[in-house]
Amino acid sequence: MSITANTLRHAALRARDAAALAQDELNAADGRMGDGDTGVMLRRLFEAIAAAIPARENDIGLVFQACAKACASGTGSSLGTLVTVAMMTLAKATKGRGEIGWDELGGLLASVRDQMMARGGAKLGDKTIVDIIDAVAVAVMPCRTREEVVAAARKEARDTLDAYRDRPNKLGRARMFGDKTVGLDDPGMLAFSRLLAAVAA
Amino acid sequence: MKKLMNSPDAFVDEMLAGLVAAHPSLVHEGRVVCRAGGARKGKVGIVSGGGAGHLPLFTGYVGEGLLDACAVGDVFAGPSVDSCVQAIHTADGERGVLRLYGNYGGDRMNFDLAGEMVEMDGIKTTTVLGTDDIASAAPEEGTRRRGVAGIIYAYKIAGAKAETGADLAEVTATAQAAVDAARTIGVALSPCQIPGAAKATFEIGPDEIEMGMGIHGEPGIWRDKLRSADDVADEMVRRLLADPVASPSGRVSVLVNSLGATPLEELFIVYRRVAALLKKEGLTIVRPLVGHYVTSMEMAGLSISLIHLDAEREKLLAAPCACPFWRV
Repeated sequence: MSITANTLRHAALRARDAAALAQDELNAADGRMGDGDTGVMLRRLFEAIAAAIPARENDIGLVFQACAKACASGTGSSLGTLVTVAMMTLAKATKGRGEIGWDELGGLLASVRDQMMARGGAKLGDKTIVDIIDAVAVAVMPCRTREEVVAAARKEARDTLDAYRDRPNKLGRARMFGDKTVGLDDPGMLAFSRLLAAVAA
Repeated sequence: MKKLMNSPDAFVDEMLAGLVAAHPSLVHEGRVVCRAGGARKGKVGIVSGGGAGHLPLFTGYVGEGLLDACAVGDVFAGPSVDSCVQAIHTADGERGVLRLYGNYGGDRMNFDLAGEMVEMDGIKTTTVLGTDDIASAAPEEGTRRRGVAGIIYAYKIAGAKAETGADLAEVTATAQAAVDAARTIGVALSPCQIPGAAKATFEIGPDEIEMGMGIHGEPGIWRDKLRSADDVADEMVRRLLADPVASPSGRVSVLVNSLGATPLEELFIVYRRVAALLKKEGLTIVRPLVGHYVTSMEMAGLSISLIHLDAEREKLLAAPCACPFWRV
């Protein structure tokens, strides 16, 4: 079984529900080093994405493009715009494709990571969403089946959160809190892990 | 925190609807506010934008001699790429558009993406980032500094320059020079809360203040017991003057700005001291501003901005302008 437009439709619904469930947790995590609105923003964003996915489109690239458009008009927060960048990257990479092999996912995530770094200015090790995407991309690179991808991605997401918890944030607003971010999860990394857990359930 | 609103999700759109209803010189479409007359052909356009929650910034400065259009996001979140694209199109008078906004990650990404998109439509754009908050990074890391109240001087000066018929490169250079000559520092007394957020943007004791705090509650330089207005003003002015600028002229404009809840009475108590200190330093104050210019909703506290003026900047500051919140 490969990844199809239908896989994305189901994933989008699960992501929407997961974002709603995680809203308060993400608001609280963001509240320790930010405005406390990451949860609200992601809940609204994934509602818009789920609503924008065309019901009868089989071209995976066009499905991602519809998601990218919904993001581009629905958010302007830095994390939200990184989601837009991810959707645009995936749309370009999968245009014209009706299915994608699970063995291609690592490469796709790696290109998302690269585009996010180019747009947002994050470096690896800054303790941002880019670090967790990088770790998961590398971990799923050798996987060939959905089961392998799910197991590797879930484990790597948990391990990466644990590994970064005691390091300081080095980018954006969180950077200004310096060592006070030691011991805290980065809200973007936490959001990615929650969405991943739901999509990979 | 108590707020008069109907729902957090409608907060920004209902605010914009009220703003344009009260000020017919402005019109809005979605999250973009522009001059009622639209772009003026032959004039360089100036767009700004950012998160809502800072009125009169950003949308309040759309008007003659100032901005042409603004893109606004949710409270404290950048404008969407689509809004940025729309704002640039709206401001385009066929001589290019300057994107003039604060140095924040989300705003940068969205305005950058928008710039690339409108380039395909043949609109030339440039960027100048407000970086006046001296507490947000050290002088040697000036490009990491964030933009706060001092950006309104760049709006005024670049806006006046654009009205003279200057080209995009000249307006951009004038805006950059204005940003480079402006310095701001803030002090916070109590926090604000984003509509729908779990709690206030930061916590602070009832008898405490934080020197250098940013307009979204970014951490400042120190937190300690509340002290007298004169002591606070002394430290802020000392820090502003200690921050190096290229070729100071001895003439400055100063803005004493409420972050929201701090009343004019307290601003004038502080301004009285600031004016005396600057005079003692041998500086001449030109066109001082005291009031609510860049706020953070119900946050209490104030910021002091200083812009060093050369002859051109002084002339452009005195040029006519008209928007709902600033008239010369």
